Amino acid sequence: MKTSWLTGAACVLGLTYCIACNTPPVPPEAARAIALEQDLWRAGGSLFTPREYASFRDSLKDAQGKIDAEETKFGWFRDYGPVRTELRGLITRGEAVLERINSEKDAKARTFALSADVLAARIDGLYRITEYFNENDDVRKNVAQAEIKLSEARLLVGKEKYELAAETAGEGGLFLDRAEEAAVRLLRRYLDRDEREKWSRWANAAIAESKAKSAVVLLVNKIERKLIVYKGGEVKARFDIGLGKYGLSDKLRSGDDATPEGRYRVIRKFNATKFYKALLIDYPNEEDKRTFVEAKRKGLIPGRATIGGDIEIHGGGKDSLTRGCVGLENNDMDDVFAWVEIGTPVTIVGATRTENTILMEIEKYKKNGH
Amino acid sequence: MKNLTKTAVLVLAIAVVLTGCKQPTQLINDVKAAVETVTTAGADKYAPEELKVINDDLTKALDEVAAQDKKFFKKFGPAKEMLAAVQAKVAELTAALPAKIEAAKNLAIQLQGEAQTALTEAADLLKKAPKGKGTKKDLEALQADLDGAQTMFTEIQTALDANDYIGAQDKAKTVKEKVAAIVDQINAAIAKVKK
Repeated sequence: MKTSWLTGAACVLGLTYCIACNTPPVPPEAARAIALEQDLWRAGGSLFTPREYASFRDSLKDAQGKIDAEETKFGWFRDYGPVRTELRGLITRGEAVLERINSEKDAKARTFALSADVLAARIDGLYRITEYFNENDDVRKNVAQAEIKLSEARLLVGKEKYELAAETAGEGGLFLDRAEEAAVRLLRRYLDRDEREKWSRWANAAIAESKAKSAVVLLVNKIERKLIVYKGGEVKARFDIGLGKYGLSDKLRSGDDATPEGRYRVIRKFNATKFYKALLIDYPNEEDKRTFVEAKRKGLIPGRATIGGDIEIHGGGKDSLTRGCVGLENNDMDDVFAWVEIGTPVTIVGATRTENTILMEIEKYKKNGH
Repeated sequence: MKNLTKTAVLVLAIAVVLTGCKQPTQLINDVKAAVETVTTAGADKYAPEELKVINDDLTKALDEVAAQDKKFFKKFGPAKEMLAAVQAKVAELTAALPAKIEAAKNLAIQLQGEAQTALTEAADLLKKAPKGKGTKKDLEALQADLDGAQTMFTEIQTALDANDYIGAQDKAKTVKEKVAAIVDQINAAIAKVKK
């Protein structure tokens, strides 16, 4: 009696063990697949691989349904084997999708980096070009705006908002287009072959005069920011110069802060002025007067405008902005002053060589694909 | 009399069964509408993680409804509980969202103020900078740069007006960054004069 009771108890315990302890646990792959779905969402699955992400979610839902179905069964009869295999396949698929998303993001980031590099190079190039002329407000303002847009686009890329980043960088590009237009507008004359040939003729005539008369001639090259002293047709000295805010423009009237272009002569020498020593030139010459009248007739300048004058080569420093004069460092002015006499020819040109610095800079800028 | 009682009990039982088997359509619609409202209120921008949990839970609840709908003996109780839980989470997020948006707005306004201060300080520095030998040209160019930054500053307010607080934050940060670079250049120009 006691034996049969013990046997019965052992059977019950055995059965309980079989039921309780042999109930298979939910496969760990389920938790991994759920976590992977979160990773895919966070990585932007719905944006970068919408179809694959949706398919992954559907399969996950299906697998979860199968797990739920197994869980409704009595422990002894549960079999997670098939769903486990399914989940393993799903995890492999999900990891592949995640890798694809990441590589797609890398590709987008690389594409952005390339266009950002192009924009940054355009910005640098334009900043460099603006160093050659003073009338650069419009250019600089637009370049600064482009730079801010580029920084904003970079922030957006950091947040993986590639579309918006591209759009923002595109807006930056538009600012650079405007800056380029403004620069070209200013430098058009310097890129114009006829204008450059005219300047070359003037320069050559001045050098020829120096050679023929064995005389001192001053040649001012605005784009190169140089004053060159010729004697007997030979270069005797070169000095760095500064111009006015609108120094690259040809002077048309009083107050335009432009430096005149043409063939002039020194008409007075001043030993001491507000700007150290100074050489007054005979602006306006006959050509300037004709141009002024023509501009007035065409309505290019106000009716009350006057032609201006008092254009000098003076000291005070090459980096300070003049009102149209040519500025030199005081020690350089001492040298120039010594070379010059009343009547010394002064030829002021925009550029002399076809391959001048700024043209080379612009060519380099263009070669870089801008 | 006995038959009448039996019929009444049967009718009542059928009514109870039919009522219990009915999809919680109203609840589903209410929850969906609430999710949509909280999304358009900015949860997608300012609480994306919380919104994702809500959307996932809603999907699960709707799946449960669909699963029960296919069965002969429908039991919508668990689905209703799931929907009610989603509703509670939506209510929680709806309550928390204004604070999250307000925090983003406040940060954007704070950054806008900082950008404005930076612009004003840079303009003052530029005004005070000695425009003498070697600096006038540089300072005029920097003034143009500062004008560019000032123009971009207006975009911060545009973003704020459009309730794009994160966009406004980014814009304010980039304006500040550019102004800081300009200030460095102004100081370099001033140092050039002092040498």
